[in-house]
This record gives sequence, structure tokens and C-alpha cells, in this order.
Amino acid sequence: MVTLKHLHKSYARGEAMVTALQDVNLEIKHGEFCSFVGPSGCGKSTLLNLVAGLDMPTSGEIVLDGRSTTNLTSFEWTKIRRDTIGIVFQAFHLVHGLTAEENIALPLMLRGDQGRDISKRVDEMLERVGMTHRRQHRPAELSGGEQQRVAIARALAHRPRLLLADEPTGNIDSHQGADIMALIRDLATSGGQTVLLVTHSSQAAQMSDYTWTIRDGQLISRTPRKAGLVASW
Amino acid sequence: MPTFVKVIARILLSHLRQWPLRTFLTIIGVSLGVSASVAVRTANVDVLRSFEQAVLTVAGPTTLEVSGDETGLDEQILPSVRTVSGVTSASPVILQTAVRMNENQPGQAIQVIGLDLLEEFHTRGFQVNQAATENQLLSMIDPQAVYLGDALATEWKVSVGDHIDLLIGTGHLSCRVAGILRGQSARRSSWERMAVMDIAAAQVAFGMVGKVDRIDLVTDAHVPVEEIGATIRAILPPHMTSERPANRTSQVEQMLRAFRLNLTVLSWVGLLVGMFLIYNTMAFSVAQRRREIGIYRAIGMTQSRVAFLFLVEAGLYGFLGGILGSAAGMALAQELITLLSRTISDLYVPVGTGGSGLLWTDQFWRIVVEGIMIGCVVSMIGAIGPSLDASRTTTVRALAPGDYEASQQVRAGALAVLGLALLVVAGLLSWPGPIGGVPVLGYAATLCLLAGLACLAPIGVAGWRRHRYVGREFGARGVMRAIAVEHAARNPGRNGVTVSAFMVGLAIMIGVLVMVRSFRHTVEIWVTDTVLADLVVAPSMWLRGTEIGTMGRSLPSGWMSILSSVPDVAAVDSYRDVRIEVKGQRVAVVSRDLRLHAQWSRYLVRSGDSSEQLNRAADIDGLLVSEVLANRLEVHEGSTLEVMTPSGPRRFPIVAVFYDYSTDGGKLLMDRALYQSLWHDDLVTVFPVYLRDGTNLDRVRERMTELLSASTDGGLPPLIISNVELRKEILDIFDRTFFLTYVLETIAVVIAMLGIVNTLITSVLERRREFSTLRAIGGSATQIRQLVLWEAAYLGTVGIVLGLIGGGLLSLLLIKVINRQSFGWTIQIIVPIGSLIQAVSLAAVATLVAGYFPARWAARQPIVEGLREE
Repeated sequence: MVTLKHLHKSYARGEAMVTALQDVNLEIKHGEFCSFVGPSGCGKSTLLNLVAGLDMPTSGEIVLDGRSTTNLTSFEWTKIRRDTIGIVFQAFHLVHGLTAEENIALPLMLRGDQGRDISKRVDEMLERVGMTHRRQHRPAELSGGEQQRVAIARALAHRPRLLLADEPTGNIDSHQGADIMALIRDLATSGGQTVLLVTHSSQAAQMSDYTWTIRDGQLISRTPRKAGLVASW
Repeated sequence: MPTFVKVIARILLSHLRQWPLRTFLTIIGVSLGVSASVAVRTANVDVLRSFEQAVLTVAGPTTLEVSGDETGLDEQILPSVRTVSGVTSASPVILQTAVRMNENQPGQAIQVIGLDLLEEFHTRGFQVNQAATENQLLSMIDPQAVYLGDALATEWKVSVGDHIDLLIGTGHLSCRVAGILRGQSARRSSWERMAVMDIAAAQVAFGMVGKVDRIDLVTDAHVPVEEIGATIRAILPPHMTSERPANRTSQVEQMLRAFRLNLTVLSWVGLLVGMFLIYNTMAFSVAQRRREIGIYRAIGMTQSRVAFLFLVEAGLYGFLGGILGSAAGMALAQELITLLSRTISDLYVPVGTGGSGLLWTDQFWRIVVEGIMIGCVVSMIGAIGPSLDASRTTTVRALAPGDYEASQQVRAGALAVLGLALLVVAGLLSWPGPIGGVPVLGYAATLCLLAGLACLAPIGVAGWRRHRYVGREFGARGVMRAIAVEHAARNPGRNGVTVSAFMVGLAIMIGVLVMVRSFRHTVEIWVTDTVLADLVVAPSMWLRGTEIGTMGRSLPSGWMSILSSVPDVAAVDSYRDVRIEVKGQRVAVVSRDLRLHAQWSRYLVRSGDSSEQLNRAADIDGLLVSEVLANRLEVHEGSTLEVMTPSGPRRFPIVAVFYDYSTDGGKLLMDRALYQSLWHDDLVTVFPVYLRDGTNLDRVRERMTELLSASTDGGLPPLIISNVELRKEILDIFDRTFFLTYVLETIAVVIAMLGIVNTLITSVLERRREFSTLRAIGGSATQIRQLVLWEAAYLGTVGIVLGLIGGGLLSLLLIKVINRQSFGWTIQIIVPIGSLIQAVSLAAVATLVAGYFPARWAARQPIVEGLREE
């Protein structure tokens, strides 16, 4: 599903060059739930941004579903995001002026889906994230956990094959965090989605099939999930 | 430097540097407003100063001027004036205009002064460079000698001894340059752009033998001028006056008052719109710095200092805008001076082309300082609201994520009520009449109208808010439109200000457009109904208005028989138009054969039948009075009017009042026979000619040109203009008069556009995260562009709707109140649908253009950086 080949990313910060990722090689198969852990600034989020096409690598290659993305245009990346990728952010990034259901409908609207199809899918997603009763509320009227539920529903509304979650529990309390992680796991499993999760939380990481540890922009180690941990978190 | 000042300076600089593009746009907006105001003020002052300088320069040591009307005064009066006690000297003066002929083409018009050179060569304040070989005395009185101003000689590349050809009235004069004139000081002098001839030569050249235009008196310094003036008036014929030279400037100033005032007020529109721009910028500035304000308050900055900080920031915008605006204003003024001089010369009096040199002399720094002060004051007034808002912010609230707009929303309802109240006040203010001849309350009503609509803008912006998106057939574009509208409607406070600025610009554009179109339509009807002569025979330079002087606008009455002799000519009228004073008003006395006019043409009389009234006026030696003059002098059909004529005061019955749009000074119409018996003036201004039906107009015109060219003494053949051409010319003059209006309007609309760009840029800056989110969840760069453009379109639409309402109401105020009270004209209102569609389309396109660049910028922003935004 996702193959990274000799991926390298560096930024200019003032006059200095900062290396965020160096020579990252990785293959994630369809349906796998993979998490990335590591200290702040180690390059986890950069990795996710590159896979989502939100940022471009300095060198190396990203292959999605067997297709190289090296020479894709901005619009081709947009189409990939519309059809293949869903993203959950730490800060939720819901559109403030829109209600919960409108936020969920947004990716479908953006790709030109029509009213009845959108309504049906939005109803379905609201139900699956348990937010039907809050559908007319705006982000400011929702708690952090509720906002993240809406964000997850939005990320999965267009049935992406790849779900990218960047610190989804970072802005909510631990109790709600557990619910959110369970929700992501359930929805991804039932939808057959491949999930790439970036997290600080080792507990959240334990929900994944395996965990990559990143340090100084490099993949250090791969740890498989310990049996029984998902149920206990 | 005190620490507080240092702190303020550092904070301000950081503010200006934070969003350089917005800072730049705001400064440009203020500078445009200042430039329009500076340009109009400078041009207004310069044109008048130019006139004043010319008057005072030529007057030299003169303390009193004796003058009559445009027909001149008999030089026989000179000896009796000289004998008046206290009069030291009395000199005859001819002040006329000639047009330089350059390779048989008419060129520049110049003022020619006829003076008694033997007496006054050294007393008038000019000096002459004369070739050593010239015999000075002889050359002075040579009938062909002319002394030419230094600036003119340089421009025309002529020197002493060269010949120049001058067109004088219908005649032609070949002159020899006998010397070059300069002022006596090193400063620029009006003499440099004039020509001087000996009085006798000038009398011959201008066909004024035995007449002079003026007698200039120098009086005893120990006797009050007023006392001598009173004595002289007692011995003068009643239609003559004796006044100080400076009075002429104040008379012209008075004549131009309404015209200049309207222009000045229009130039302030740019400042008004600029004020909205500043309000907008400062409101954003405060909203963006809520947290910063909270920190300042938390560490001990007082409320007043917070307000001061933002006021100074606005003042800084004003200062920089003022400097740029003054420079741009002075550049614009150069163009305006030419345009204004032309318009004033077309419509009122010859004022030259603004040669006072005001811009680059002692007035330079005054203009700059004024420009800066205007910029600062306007900016600081615009910033009062946001600054007070900033100062009132509580620390806790400021440190919390801002709910600034929420508080603004609450006020939208209250503002709407205030807006409606202001509209009612505007209606009430439009009822009373003018104060001192100035439509003060009309202007106040205009201000209330615009302020009222501005107060309605926030609720207008919020009005279309909220509807359910899910389940509706949007399509990809529809959703961007919905988000855009939602976002714009979510911020009624600040977007209301942007919409207000746009609305003010557009309302004024539409209001003035409707007024000008209605006025033009009225003039068209008037021209169509009253200009019925098939041909008009006029002096060759007649279309250059007052610029060509009184003699340049006169024809010999002998041409009547020549014209009548042309085959196919059915009738020839003789139209004479001279300016006199009636009850302190400068009025045109028009005389013509009223019976002939009744038969062939008409006047648009207020009541009754034109032919009947014209015949009756001829029968009873009565007057027809223009509507403007009737209003001003408060006379009407059936009343009488006393007019001072060269034959003494005379009371005339007023037979009818007629609509006239040729001058705002007013007109008296009388029969030519009556005029000639009172004014003893045989000249004619133009000959309206009526042809038999089916006549070949061009053939008649050719024949007339042939016959009349023989009578023009080598000058240009007369202008023989057809009815169609004359109507077109009248409308061209009309359009030229309002060109300046369009320029000032455009400036206001451009500032309003900058307001929209400013708003959208800020909106884009604030919503980078939202845009990046949309990109991350599948939105394309094109959709982001659409989003910003839809927002621009939404704001533009609300602005256009309010602008149309405002423009409609404003046009009523302009036509029914301001114009009526300023000039006294009755204008028939029309709704120029085509022009309105053009104006609205222009506004819509301008809005989208204003939105395009922020939209493009928004679409190009890196997604990852946007997602990191707090």
C-alpha cells in the first residue's frame, strides 16, 4: 500500500539546513495498522505529511498502491487525497463555521458528490462515531473528544484506503483518548483501511499491528504489538 | 527619548513590518484620498491665484478701477475722472484677448493689454528688454508694435524684431515684437505671459476706437480710497462702477463658489472612503493583537496608552500616506489646473491656464504639510473606534482566544437601528433651503445617508447567513460558495466596514452618474427644443468660450445683410450676449429679434406658450428671465426687475421665466431693438440662420464662407456651424465639465477596491489553517481560489445592493437638493439603465479583480505551514 524508498527531507531554517528525515525505507501492506513513535522533532509528522502529499520530499520516492508519486502535480495529489487518503489531525482542524455534519460532508462535497449520496454517508458516519445527536453543532460547541470524533468521521467519510492520523489523542484527555483510539481501530478494521498513526503515546501505539521508532529522522526499530494489549487500553 | 516613546516606536515598527503588504495597501489608500483632496484644493487655489495675480500685476499701483460692462466705456469720461479730488492719475486700459496664428492655424490665446505707454512704460511693474537699435519712443506708439512676455517669447521662439500673427475678433493683425516683457522682481510675474500694446494701437486693433475697457486710477495715499470711489461714482453713468482691483478676484471667487465647493466636497469622498479603509485596517490590527493587548495590560499599560498606541499607528499610516498623497496630489494638480482652467473659461470667465507657479514656490511646503495633516487627521478619526475598542478590552478576555467578532455581531442589530434613524434624519435635512446660498443641510443629509447605509452594512453582511448544506445539490463549486458566504457572514463587523467603504464609493459613483445622466438628458431636451437654427454663424474661435475675450466673441452687425442675401436663407437672427451686474449678480443679457425667434424657434418657458410670451415681451419691452436668475433674485412672471443700463436705471416687466442650462449665472432676454436703444451696442455675438425647407446645407455654408471671408480682414473665416454640430458641441462642453467628476469618483472607487483587497488579504492570512485543512481533506488549489473569490463576490454583492440603494437616494439628494440649491437648475430625473448596468458590472469586475490576487496567493500557500498555524 505504502512504500518509501530512500526518503530524505531537509528544511532551511534561517541559514542552517535541518534534516527531518534521512534515508527512510519502509513498506506498509494493505490493511496494516502501523504506528510511529519518537521524541518531538524526530520527523514523525514530516513522514505523514510526505505520505499525504502535503509536503514534498527532498529526495527519494513514495509509492502508493504501486504508483510512484515522484512526478505528480499538485492536482494529482489532490485527487489522491480525495479518493485514497483520509487525515486525522492532532488539532482536529474542523472548519469553524460549519456544523458537525457539514464538516463530515466536506470531503464528499469537495470531490463533487451529490446531495442524496452525501446525506446518506454523513448519517452513516455520524452514527458510527456516535455523534448523530450533535450533528447540528459547530466545533466551538463540541468538546475536544467530540471534535476528534467528527474529524475521524470526516477523514473516513470518502472511504479512503489509507488513514493517516497525526497525534489524534494529543489534544484530549486520556479517557477520551482511549475512546478515540478504539474508534480509529474499529473503523479502520471494519473498513479494511491501512492506518499510519503518529503518536507520542506508547499506549496508543500499542493499538497498532507494529510500531516504528524514529529518532533524528531515521527509522530505528520495528516492534510488533504484544498480544492482548488492544483490549486492555 | 522617554522610555515609553521608545517602547511605542518599537511596537509600532513591529506592527507595520508584520504584514507589509497590508501596510502598503493602507498607505496607498490613504495617499490616494489625500492626493484627490490636495489636487483639487491646489488646483482651485492655483486657478484663482493665477487670475488674482494677473489682475494685481496688471493693476500695478492702481487703487481704483472704473469699468462698465462688456461693451466697454466711452473714453470721454477720462477727463472728468482726472479732475476728481484725490485722483493722482487716471489711465485708460484695454484688456482683450488675441489668438496667436501659427502657420494659419489658431493657437494659444493670450491677454493683450493696451496701455498709454508714453505715460506708463515705467509705472506698471514690468521691464522691457529692447534692442539697442530700436528707437524706443517711436516703437512704443507704432500701431503694429507689441511687447511680448518673456515666457511666451521663449515658448514661441521669437525675439525682438520678429513678426507674429494675431487673430483679433474676426480680424487679423501682423505685429512686430518691439521688446520682451519681464516682471521687475526675480519672481515669476504674470507679465511674462501677456502682450502689451499702446492704447491707441489696441483701440484700432480691437475695433474700440473711442472706447476703453477700464480706467485705472492711482489715488492720493492720504485720502481714503472709498471716499474717492464714492465721489467718482457720483459723476459716472449709472451702469459704471469704481472698485478696488482686488474686488474682481472676490467677484470671480463668488461666481465660482458653488462650482468649487461641489468639486471640493467630491474630492473629500476619497478621504471618507480612506477613513473606512483605516478603520478596517485598525480593526483587524486590534483583533489580531488581542493577546498582545492583554499582555500590555497585564504588565501595566494603561487603557489610555493602549488607545494611544493604536491611534499613533493610524497616525503613522496617515503620515506616510500624507507624504505620498501630497506628492501625487501635486502631480495630479498639474493636470487638474489645465482641466479646471478650461472648464472655468468655458463656463465662467477667462482664467488663463494656471500660471501662478503656486505649486513650486512658497506654497510647496504648505501643501505638503496640509497633505500630511489631512492624512493624519483622517486616519486618526478612522481609528478612533478600533482604538477605543482596544483600550476597553479586559485583560482576561484578551488573553483568551478572541471572541472579538462575537461582540461585534451583537452590535449589528443596534447599528441597523441607528442606520435607519440616520436615513430618517437625512430625509428631514433635505427639506430646508440653503444657508447663505450654500446647501449645508443638503451636504449634511448626504453624510447622514451614507453613514446610515454604512450602519446597515453589518446586518446586510450577516443577513444571508446560515442554511443547511448537507442534502442539498451543491456540486464542488456550490460548497465553496457556501463556505465563503458562511465565513463572510460570520464576521459582519469587519466585513461590514469593507462593504461600507465599497458601498460609499459605489453609491457616489451611481448617485453622480444618475445626476450627470439626468442633467445631460435635460440639457439634450433643452438643446433639441430650443436650438432650432439650421446654421449658426459665429466668430472663428467662438467655441473656446470666454478664453477668447469679448472682442473675440463679437461680429459686426453688417454681416446680417450679407447673410440674408444668400439664396435659400429664410431668416437671420442677431444674437448678442454681454455680461452685466444685476443686484450684485453677474448676469448675461441676451438680446435678439424676439418676434423672429417666436416665429422660428422657442424658449422652454415655465408657463404659457413660448411664441406668445416672446411676442408680448417685444411688444411691451419686457424681459424673459432664466429660471436660475428668477430663483436667485426672487422674481417671477408678472413682477418687475430694475436693471442698470448705460442709459440709466430701467425697470422691466417680467413676461416669462424660461429654463436655461447654458450658464449658472442667469440670463435676461430682451428684444434687440430695446437692447440697442439702451446699450448702444451694435455688435452681434452670433447669427442664427434659418433655411428654407429642402435646402442643401453644405452649399449654403460654402457660399456664406465665401462671402464672409472677404469681410474678415485676413483673419480666419467665421465658424459656420450646423444645428447638429452645435448640439454636439454643447454636449461635448457638458461632458468636459463633468470629466473631473469622473476622475474624483474613480479615485474613491479605487480606494474602496483597496479596502476589499485589504480585507481579503487579512481574511486569507487569518484562515491559512482553514485553507490548508481544506487542501488536506481533498480541496484543490482551484477550489481555494474559488473560495476567496466567492467571498469577494459575496462582499461585492452586498456592497453593490447597498450601493444601488445609496446611489439612488444620493442622486435624489444631488438633483433635488444640492444641485438645485447650488445652481438653481431643474433637472428631470431619468434612470440610465444601461449606464447603471455598466457601473454595476464594473464594480463586480473590480471586486473580482480585487479578490483575484489574494485568492491566487491563498491557493499557493504551503499546506504544511498552514496546518501549523495557531
